[in-house]
Amino acid sequence: MQNLILYSLSNFIPETILVVTIIVCIIADLIIRKKSFAVTFVAIVGLVLSFVFVVKQWGLSMSIFSGMLAIDNYAVFFKLLFIISTLFILLFVETSKEMKTASHKNEHVYLILSLTTGAYLMASSVNLIMMYISLEMVSLTSYILAGYLKKDKRSTEAAIKYIIYGAASSGIMLYGMTLIYGYTATMNINEIFLYLSKNPITDTPVLLASVIMISAGFGYKISSVPFHFWTPDVYEGAPIPITAFLAVTSSAAGFSVLVRFFLVGFANTEIITAVKWQEVIIVFSIASMIIGNFVAVWQTSLKRLLAYSSIAQSGYILLGLAVVNSAGLFAVILYLSAYLFMNLGAFYVTILIHNKLGTDNMDEMDGLGYRSPFIGVTMAVFMFSLAGIPATVGFIGKFYIFSALINTNSPNLTWLAVVGLLNSVVSLFFYVKVLKHMFLNKPEKPLPELDYGYANILITLLLAVPTILFGLYFTPLLRLAENSIKIFGLN
Amino acid sequence: MLSEFGQIFVFMIIAVILIAFIYVVVRFIAPHKPSRQKSDVYECGEETEGETWIRFNIRFYVIALIFIIFDVEIIFLFPWAVVFREIGFIAYAEMAIFLLILIVGLIYAIAKGDVQWDKPEPVIPKLERQLFSAKPDINKKDNQY
Repeated sequence: MQNLILYSLSNFIPETILVVTIIVCIIADLIIRKKSFAVTFVAIVGLVLSFVFVVKQWGLSMSIFSGMLAIDNYAVFFKLLFIISTLFILLFVETSKEMKTASHKNEHVYLILSLTTGAYLMASSVNLIMMYISLEMVSLTSYILAGYLKKDKRSTEAAIKYIIYGAASSGIMLYGMTLIYGYTATMNINEIFLYLSKNPITDTPVLLASVIMISAGFGYKISSVPFHFWTPDVYEGAPIPITAFLAVTSSAAGFSVLVRFFLVGFANTEIITAVKWQEVIIVFSIASMIIGNFVAVWQTSLKRLLAYSSIAQSGYILLGLAVVNSAGLFAVILYLSAYLFMNLGAFYVTILIHNKLGTDNMDEMDGLGYRSPFIGVTMAVFMFSLAGIPATVGFIGKFYIFSALINTNSPNLTWLAVVGLLNSVVSLFFYVKVLKHMFLNKPEKPLPELDYGYANILITLLLAVPTILFGLYFTPLLRLAENSIKIFGLN
Repeated sequence: MLSEFGQIFVFMIIAVILIAFIYVVVRFIAPHKPSRQKSDVYECGEETEGETWIRFNIRFYVIALIFIIFDVEIIFLFPWAVVFREIGFIAYAEMAIFLLILIVGLIYAIAKGDVQWDKPEPVIPKLERQLFSAKPDINKKDNQY
């Protein structure tokens, strides 16, 4: 037993490094007692160290802590994604004016790191209990981060709304888990799969109900309809760097655990025909795409527009899961890595605009493309990528999702690809609307030019260049995605 | 034969019946002489004062939160103490790390001033206008002092 724990600990180094970094950050914050880059620097060092040890785990396949966590390429892929997005978010916070108004000095650093630790655990958990605990770890820190600007009314409102929705949906999820436990007498998803595939499935309504209930918890994290109600308000109220963090890390963590739960626990033709979870996912994804895209058309606030856009994006990613084969999963992984760059980029440009204008209302952005051509052009790159225009990484993601839908035969899902494509057309409308405000609408009176510092331009380029580069030369992404999904053994 | 969950169901039924039974028996046996003190709200033996629905200071919650950290810590210490001899030094080191992490939490709470009961500044009442513009003239006859 003792040796088992020590063995598990030796494979738990990336998480341990993050936890130690959090404690060092807290102590550094207590000693320095004022706003300082040193705390952020400690966090960056910790993340880079953790990155090194995560890369070392590539190729391993084992389960540690008596079947609680799995270490495999799939988890490693998500951990790398979390590290990259956390590094960007730490830089975002440093350059955001909004975050400087907070009464706290350095707390955001270790809150962000604890969210990343929770996301690590989510990506590698193979046990229902572990899934729940890590999901709560991510949720609890994101509630605090959403209300980070304590003096700001809307930030506090966002935190309260987030808590209420979060508590309700994780409660529903727990109830679903108890139903599954009652049915299969195990919490481990591998054993759940063994039980379901060996024994005849009798009480399908119970299993279907429990699957839907568990989707409530995961669906709330990925903000898919009908669990999306918190998204616009929280995205609008929270400070923009935090919004970006929730939109990318927290939602990618939700996808990691959702995909693992369904594709490890329930991916078998007999189980799919009996439990019909595929239909549930299809319904969720169509609803997310339609509501996300059509409501986004009416938004005037850029943050709310991005909120509805991310609801719609989660609908597209769910399409990839609904295919239930390796091509679909491949597309999901590819889309998530594309989503990292383009969504972070869109949010960073929003931060830069907010820094100068003090608002994210799109009517105030008239003529912004001429006031600062750099902002206009990079925003165009990210918006086209989110819409899925060729020569951007967003196109690659959408292309593989739709081709997976068209190529599958059991059942025929071509109609779903058509629905997705029509939705993409709608989404193009509101993404281009942002650019219309920036370039075509003339402001009432001529406004001064905006100039940005080198740091701002560098961070934007770090996101804009991969968005275009991976859109043209995407072989590395394909390799990465191909190797990440091998453990599932899907056909 | 009952399944394991069936046994739990029987247990639940028995629990409900038993409690209902006790209530009914008490109804018949117990003397019923209510007085003002008996029907008051129970406050650990103190005499009841005022309403029960009062607001109380939010600082209590902070203290309670800090208390819970160390309350849970004790729960973890018990199983540790049982196996301490078998595992030896590693167990000692592990618990030391665990306690250190918690102590960092306590230091954090103290350093951020969460356990300080700073009283709000007393608001001294101030009048907008002066009561007497000048000294009253005592020589005047019609002064009613």
